[in-house]
Amino acid sequence: MDADTRRERVTSLIAEILEVDPSTVRAESRLREDLGMDSLQSLELLSTLSEELRIDLEMEEAMDIATVADACAFVERSWDAQRGEAAAGHA
Amino acid sequence: MKRALVVGGTGFLGLNLVDALLEDGVEVRVTRRRRSVTAFLRKRPVELVEADLEDAPSLARAMQGVDVVFLAAGYYPRYSIDREAAIETGTRQVRNACDAALEAGVPGLVYTSSTGALGPAPSGRPADERDVPAEIPEDSVYRAVKWAMEREVEAAEARGLRAVTVIPGGCIGPWDVRCGTGGFLVGTVRGELPWYVDGIVNLVDVGDVARAHVRAASAAPGSRYVVGGHTITVGSLLGQIIGRYGGRMPPERLDPGPARERADSDERAAAPERRRVAVPRELVDLIVTGQPVSSERAVRELGLGFEPLADALDRAHDWYRRFRYIPATRVAAAGEAQP
Repeated sequence: MDADTRRERVTSLIAEILEVDPSTVRAESRLREDLGMDSLQSLELLSTLSEELRIDLEMEEAMDIATVADACAFVERSWDAQRGEAAAGHA
Repeated sequence: MKRALVVGGTGFLGLNLVDALLEDGVEVRVTRRRRSVTAFLRKRPVELVEADLEDAPSLARAMQGVDVVFLAAGYYPRYSIDREAAIETGTRQVRNACDAALEAGVPGLVYTSSTGALGPAPSGRPADERDVPAEIPEDSVYRAVKWAMEREVEAAEARGLRAVTVIPGGCIGPWDVRCGTGGFLVGTVRGELPWYVDGIVNLVDVGDVARAHVRAASAAPGSRYVVGGHTITVGSLLGQIIGRYGGRMPPERLDPGPARERADSDERAAAPERRRVAVPRELVDLIVTGQPVSSERAVRELGLGFEPLADALDRAHDWYRRFRYIPATRVAAAGEAQP
């Protein structure tokens, strides 16, 4: 799975959890203020991402994520730290 | 008990129950649904299996080879709008789980009920396990569902299921991912509770309830245990929360009738988008019909003790802060907005 696919998955999962059209989820959208995501939905998002991507996300740290772009960046940092080497080997 | 299955182990009570079982050296299997928040469980040494209360065969598969099933996944209607549908769903799910336990030949099942399923006690004593209403409660969807679910467990016992029922008050403490009873704490500290209704609530540290479940697994089949914890009025509870963590007293206090009407109207407005409401009707019902309960049998027979209420609130507050349900900054100084 490449970085673009992971970014798309973050966006589509946010839309799925919030039951909104994916086109309304933009990189600059703020999860809480703009999209109305609550704490439980944030946990759902991060839990599902960590399971699907098989990476360990520090949940407390992740709860500070503000925007969709931040969520993507957080996933990428965690991916690079834990899976980057293995993924590069399969590229 | 060597191997246990926790149905509902990804939830609030479930996670605490998993920890209590692991502490006792029990091997734990937990059911999950596709969208369950599993991040916390995956950090614990448990086996995760897919099963759903709507899918009896999946439950029977999950129950294979365990000594005890903990049914801590009771249906919790988000809104009190469609009474018949809520009762049908709640009873169907309990029936599925009990049938699966019978089919799998599970030696014992511990069922989690609610003090909301109790009826009024005769005057002069607190309510306890004996106070089972003869008829389904008419004034509350939540209480009706919980009453009907208990009757389903009894029907399964008549078919041979060996079950023990734990009847907890409102649980507070860590891992409250759905922010259930603790919603009043979060709402008050965030200064977002728009109104409240006064009455009696029973609050109990979720760790005490988890320990009660573990011990109830060794109790005689057919036993029932109220685990009510602390009896307190809502007004005094909110005052205690504000004094400890800051926040704001809700600006409006409603009498029972208007409180029910307000909660109903809020739920009807929130239902199309499946939003949560600040004060759900089921909470109003529990407060309005609240009464002191006695946990004497659980103390005597299960050797249960209760954490002080202040400690339980502190543990809950710490967890909500840690996962940002409560912002790091105080909303208002203690007492600032009290009427």
